[in-house]
Amino acid sequence: MRNSRPESPVSSIGERLSGADPQASVTQLFESMRPDLLRFAHWLARDRSLAEDIVQESLLRAWRSRDTLKDRGAARAWLLTIVRREHARLYERKRLELVSLDEALESQVPAKAADPEGDLFTLRNAIMKLPIEYREPLLLQVLGGFSTDEIARELALSSTAVLTRLFRARNKLRAFCGMSPAPDVSTSEAAS
Amino acid sequence: MSCEQVRLQIGGDPGNSTAELEQHLRDCESCRQFRAEVRTLDANIRRALERPPAAAVTARFTASWRPWALAASVLLAMLAVLAVWALRPSDTLAREVVAHVQEEPESWLARQQVDAQSIDSALRSAGVRLDITSDRISYAQSCWFRDHYVPHLVVQTAQGPVTVMILRNQHVSGRRTFHEQGMSGVIVPAPPGSIAVLTRGGANLDALTAQMLQDVRWLPDAP
Repeated sequence: MRNSRPESPVSSIGERLSGADPQASVTQLFESMRPDLLRFAHWLARDRSLAEDIVQESLLRAWRSRDTLKDRGAARAWLLTIVRREHARLYERKRLELVSLDEALESQVPAKAADPEGDLFTLRNAIMKLPIEYREPLLLQVLGGFSTDEIARELALSSTAVLTRLFRARNKLRAFCGMSPAPDVSTSEAAS
Repeated sequence: MSCEQVRLQIGGDPGNSTAELEQHLRDCESCRQFRAEVRTLDANIRRALERPPAAAVTARFTASWRPWALAASVLLAMLAVLAVWALRPSDTLAREVVAHVQEEPESWLARQQVDAQSIDSALRSAGVRLDITSDRISYAQSCWFRDHYVPHLVVQTAQGPVTVMILRNQHVSGRRTFHEQGMSGVIVPAPPGSIAVLTRGGANLDALTAQMLQDVRWLPDAP
């Protein structure tokens, strides 16, 4: 399943639709967002092949539920949400914690390079190493553009719990990058 | 707003602000500095995420290595991973515990007491209960470790902070001490699993280990 390359449901549906069909524009809309969705899924799953499967399945689900998308301006956030849920389903089902090529090679990479691009490289590795409970809200916020309240709704957490996770995510990245982490906040996720 | 509230807001959502937060920043140099640092970090995070992760790594390697060297490295890395898996669990458990603790460096720095609900939350997902709620626990997280969520606690002792990981799914045949990466520790059987206790200093682990063995209760309905 992971390594298969099924035909794109969006593309194949698109082929069946004529240009005059208004639903063809939905296909085009979804397809135009595939690169963004793939990047988001890739950072979530940390595995290219798995990310492609997640996006494929997500687009299929989106197509089946296309009638619920009333506002096309909200399509990106809607699709990102579907991708996140598809990843969560897969994560829960298989308890996947993949050791990607990047991680296998990580021990060969300098901890901190001197040039700016090297710093970014260190940061990318650090983001990859973030536990999913920190990486997920960070990606939703930075890549998805979701507000704290929106992330809270999506993850079934309180807004304070989301802020705490995001604070800790950035604090971990500071530590990974050789900066001194800020004192941890005492706000509890469970209590908030 | 207190400095802690302000830092939570800034660290959680550096692009957002409120009048109350701005008022605090006008009077607090250290929080202003913190926001500047976090915003710089956030700009770098955005740049880092512009590219998918594999491409980022691959580009770096292909820029400096010949393709055959990359292939050889991949093969070696895969063999190394296979070797690690072949050797587990007995020889690598301590090393993986140490590696995990190293990945959460801020855990050693926490000083404030964690409330009972947070401790319970960290324990519950691993099917564990503690008979006592120590007022010395300064860090309590549920961490993903070897395919399971495990409680990761830091307990403040007179000799410094001590990390405790309660490993329901890791079985060890007997007590094992280890010294790795500047940490010393012990892993003891606690059927059906085990408990790892680590220190970076010279804290005596025996008393805390004995207390954890006495206080840990395994719940029957573990996830």
